[in-house]
Amino acid sequence: MLPSLDGPSGRLDLGRKAVRRTEPAREMALRSALDRLTAGRQDRQDAPDGWVTAARVLPACAAEYAPFPAGVDPQLQEVLRKRGVEQLYTHQAAAIAYALDGRHVVITTPTASGKTLCYNAPVLSTILNNPAARALYLFPTKALAQDQLAELHGLAELLSQEAGNGEQGPEIQAHGADGQASAGIGVFTYDGDTPQDARKAIRNRAHIVLSNPDMLHSGVLPHHPRWAKLFENLRYVVIDELHAYRGVFGSHLANVLRRLRRICRHYGSAPTFICSSATIANPRELAEALVEQPFELVSESGAPRGEKMFLFVNPPVVNRQLGIRRSYLSETRRIAGEFLTRGLQLIVFAQSRLTTEILTTYLKDDFEGPPGTRERIRGYRGGYLPVRRREIEKGLREGSVAAVVSTNALELGIDIGALDVCVMAGYPGTIAATWQRAGRAGRRSGRSAAVLVASSAPVNQFVVRHPAYFFDASPEHALVDPDNLHILVDHVKCAAFELPFTAAEQYGRHDVQEILRVLAESELVHPVGTAWQWTSESYPADAVSLRSISSDNFVVVDTTRGADVIGETSFTSGPATLHEKAIYMVEGALYQVERLDFDGRKAYVREIDCDYYTDAITYTKVTVLEPFETTGSGGGDPGSEGAAIPGPGSRAPDPGSRIHAHGEVHVSSRVVGFKKIKFYTNENVGSGELDLPEQQMHTTAYWLTVPAAVMASLPYAPDDRRDGIVGLAFAMRQVAQLLLMCDRQDIGISIDGGGAKDPGAGAEAAPSSEALLDVEPRVFIYDNYPGGIGFSEPLFAMQGDLLARTRGLVAGCECDHGCPTCVGPLGNTGPLAKTVALRILDRLAVAGALDVP
Amino acid sequence: MNLAERLRNVVRPAGSPAVTPLPPPGFPSSADAESAAEVLGGQWREWRDDRYLVVDRRYPPGHRHGRVAVADSAPDASGAWPALGILDPRVAGEVSPERANKGADGRVVFLDLETTGLSGGAGTYAFLVGCGWFDAGTFQVRQFLLTGCAAERGLLEAVGETVAGAGAIATYNGKTFDLPIMQTRFLLHRMAAPFEGLPHVDLLHPARRLWKPEEAGLTAVDAAVLGHVRENDVPGFEIPSRYFRYVRSGDPAPLQAVLEHNRLDLLSLAMLTSRIARLLEHGPDAAATAREALGLGRLYERRGMLAEARACFVRAAGSGLPGGATADEMLTRAEALRASALLYRRTRAHEAAAERWQRLLDLPACPPHLAREAREALAVHYEHRLRDFRSARRLAVESLQVSSTAVRVHATQHRLARLDRKLNPAPASFF
Repeated sequence: MLPSLDGPSGRLDLGRKAVRRTEPAREMALRSALDRLTAGRQDRQDAPDGWVTAARVLPACAAEYAPFPAGVDPQLQEVLRKRGVEQLYTHQAAAIAYALDGRHVVITTPTASGKTLCYNAPVLSTILNNPAARALYLFPTKALAQDQLAELHGLAELLSQEAGNGEQGPEIQAHGADGQASAGIGVFTYDGDTPQDARKAIRNRAHIVLSNPDMLHSGVLPHHPRWAKLFENLRYVVIDELHAYRGVFGSHLANVLRRLRRICRHYGSAPTFICSSATIANPRELAEALVEQPFELVSESGAPRGEKMFLFVNPPVVNRQLGIRRSYLSETRRIAGEFLTRGLQLIVFAQSRLTTEILTTYLKDDFEGPPGTRERIRGYRGGYLPVRRREIEKGLREGSVAAVVSTNALELGIDIGALDVCVMAGYPGTIAATWQRAGRAGRRSGRSAAVLVASSAPVNQFVVRHPAYFFDASPEHALVDPDNLHILVDHVKCAAFELPFTAAEQYGRHDVQEILRVLAESELVHPVGTAWQWTSESYPADAVSLRSISSDNFVVVDTTRGADVIGETSFTSGPATLHEKAIYMVEGALYQVERLDFDGRKAYVREIDCDYYTDAITYTKVTVLEPFETTGSGGGDPGSEGAAIPGPGSRAPDPGSRIHAHGEVHVSSRVVGFKKIKFYTNENVGSGELDLPEQQMHTTAYWLTVPAAVMASLPYAPDDRRDGIVGLAFAMRQVAQLLLMCDRQDIGISIDGGGAKDPGAGAEAAPSSEALLDVEPRVFIYDNYPGGIGFSEPLFAMQGDLLARTRGLVAGCECDHGCPTCVGPLGNTGPLAKTVALRILDRLAVAGALDVP
Repeated sequence: MNLAERLRNVVRPAGSPAVTPLPPPGFPSSADAESAAEVLGGQWREWRDDRYLVVDRRYPPGHRHGRVAVADSAPDASGAWPALGILDPRVAGEVSPERANKGADGRVVFLDLETTGLSGGAGTYAFLVGCGWFDAGTFQVRQFLLTGCAAERGLLEAVGETVAGAGAIATYNGKTFDLPIMQTRFLLHRMAAPFEGLPHVDLLHPARRLWKPEEAGLTAVDAAVLGHVRENDVPGFEIPSRYFRYVRSGDPAPLQAVLEHNRLDLLSLAMLTSRIARLLEHGPDAAATAREALGLGRLYERRGMLAEARACFVRAAGSGLPGGATADEMLTRAEALRASALLYRRTRAHEAAAERWQRLLDLPACPPHLAREAREALAVHYEHRLRDFRSARRLAVESLQVSSTAVRVHATQHRLARLDRKLNPAPASFF
């Protein structure tokens, strides 16, 4: 059942607060807590000298309403009215109108703005008018599908009552696999947890199927004949949390959707896509890249919003030389305490399951009543039983839970009502996710607050010291490359299994007929008549995992108590993380690798209790195969004004003579050893040598060439110059990760001496100093995925920004000679790394290679 | 690098095996080379711009399959075996008027598929659909060979026509394999599956009951029951690759053995169906072995034909049937006694049940798990019905001597203690 409504979004808001405290009292409490945290410095925005580095006030917005668009079924309108929805917010009305009109639409509005009605209304309305119509909802997680199931069951039940009251409603029969009474509208989840014996009934009876991309890929599309009824009548495909589909996952999803639309064509349907996304820079572009259809964008929220105060907190430095700060967890505990003591309800986001448990324990110690009383502080993460999760969600909505500490499990659309405060322990990794989490606190009227507590990780430090990066810049672009050959070929196989390709058929941007010809060489397909027949016994979808980087994975086997598979790692990162003696971490638990069976792709690990982790030393060599674009003058005098800067698209025959370039590269890497790094202090406490096979791949890269003239002009010893380049690369990597909205392992970095002088030693660690002396060193940032995943070209386009932000990061760091936040820990690089890196950047700036900040 | 080279790197990253040369430009029609009809002994059927192959074979009444001749197996003139109704009443029921209108009679059509894989899903094709039926004392086989996926719809239409006249179909493991595959193929082409609502006998389950339970493959049952030993039979796992070879090369030779394998399967299926129908019709006297009698009894029992079932168990438990005193035979007799006892108990004939349990215990080599069950049943009988506590106690002591698990020891001790209290109602704890 849904909670009763107080507005178009269907969220419960009134009532519970009245029980707890009056609105003025709540306002007072919030103001007092914020005053204390900012020490009265709210007037000074972005004050860089305090622990609070930013205090922004986001103004309130009034609601904007619109009437129900024509075509929304009167019964549905009636049900919504009974639940208090007299009219719609403008964004809801716009989205519903587009969807009913059969136009693909993507909606980006903040958390709790009534987004689900944007897709439920057109879907339910269409089914009420035509009971044969079907809809497919895709969620990135099973928990979200469950949450939506409850909401839809509630609506379906009300519709069935409504039909029972009315004179001539559509025929209603109660059914539901789980025995729950619902309307004649069948709503079911279909995922890996669905019992085998229920699946047939679901295929036949579901009007709305709630599933996930993985299940669609391996469980539904290959068996499409059994789903003929769904595909014949498929009117809507809903993709919730669209922003989750970026990088490899998104590129896979784009191909799954190509296959879906291909199957729909076979059965004569052409569904309308309704997508919802958190705020990202390019929602329409992402939707269009994933679905390959033109989209309408609805981005102006009509939902009301109260004023919100947003604070950035950087824990104080306790060891300036090593750049060590006070633990951000202790800091989070202190800040959460300020709100809790004033009776405010809050959510605390932690970055891992382990930190979630730690913070839960801290807050329980501080605020939990005597044993036996109601639990006011709760933890929440994946792995908790659904029953417990529902109980916590309910406690939050009703106000009996004062604080919840959660992983990103509560970041997505689970309904927990409107809380007073959100405290984030650590930067969530992207601007989009940060806004999403901050949105969990907030109300239609009255103030709320969000606090970001930075950890000492480099990206955290960058963001907390450059609040403008977060507040004033656009959020990240979500990038996908559906035509990455590796991904494309995998899905062409799946598609060929599902329906034979015809000789005239198109699929994706590349020539699919050429792909099929190559697959025919491997005897997977064969041309027969005018079609490509699948001629293999295999079931190709089983070999393709949408979420992992490659289907050729290492599995991690825990031998502590028998042989349990506890994780898997992509082929490319396997050697670096699973070499012998490596420390492997799962949810804070530590394991040591005892044996790596490289050919069998298995790592055998055992639980261990230690205070260090390992960092592999990888020698990586990048060879340029073909530069696509180059810019920036490099060969000339770096000081000369107005150096010719060719526009994008121009080609230079010699990539070494340009500062920026991107193109196709060959990467070979070998793990040659590892270091033991102590937790918290990041001290180097030991090392070892390894001998593992070399790995090779073709991918794409962006690279920076530091002109020989720049190198030659540096007044430092060769070793120091080398340190400067290493430090520069280290810092560039952090910034690239921020700009690309990608995970750390999505990109790799490598340095070389430029040219043939130093063939063997290009390395993340270090080429020899001599090699850098009189040549032009290059810093490569490559897509750590065979074929590339589309990061390099955007990075090339952001070249000036990349270097300017890198300079900002290094220059703004408070450490003396380098730390993990800027150019790398001191042990990694020499004492002058920071200085030299800055000097190089300054010279490049003169050459016009940096954007003016 | 051009696209094809890059693709080759993706498809075969390292240590690439031998490369099949690129097919010549355009789409060759090698797969439906003329020779297929000749080599496989069939006829092309045109369907739109494509075609598929139909192979017909007649096995005359005198054709022998192992120990059995086709004529011996043929049903009566109606083409049906009423006794199969014992397996599934719908099989012996009247042909529905709707089907009768379409020309259906009571005839049983045997169905066996050869497929391009076992995984199921839209990419698993039934490249060979074999159908068989009795026609006036002869056995008729019709095989539909898919030479290219484009003709599949036409092929399925023809299969539908062949099945349309049937009163029932019979398969071996068709419930889980052949029919779902067919269903998928028909659904894919948006055609109504002809098997919908058609009575279906899956021989796998009765065959498991009647014959060797551990070797339930059709070929093995075929040899054991009908005495038909296949020579040069193509193993099942090889079948998809032979088909793929044909599709790629156009050379139909590898398919000859596959078609023959399918025909033999259909013949076996028909002969075994006939054998089962005969057993069901004639009862225990028709059983050739104790195992068959026991299995037959269980088939009757499932249908509630308890008198027939009992007669079968009696025959299986007796020593009148061949087989001597092998361990296998003794096990069958013991199981028959157990089945008898359970059947008597079900009808509340407890005395008769107890007698069977006792005979089971008296067998020279009674398997331990059956002996345990018999002892427990008898102990209950003595204690609760006859109130013969001494006999019950004797059985319990015996049980204790052979009990191996703690749970059983505990249960038996519990029983002993209770029996001791019943035997000595007065307090007896002076020691």
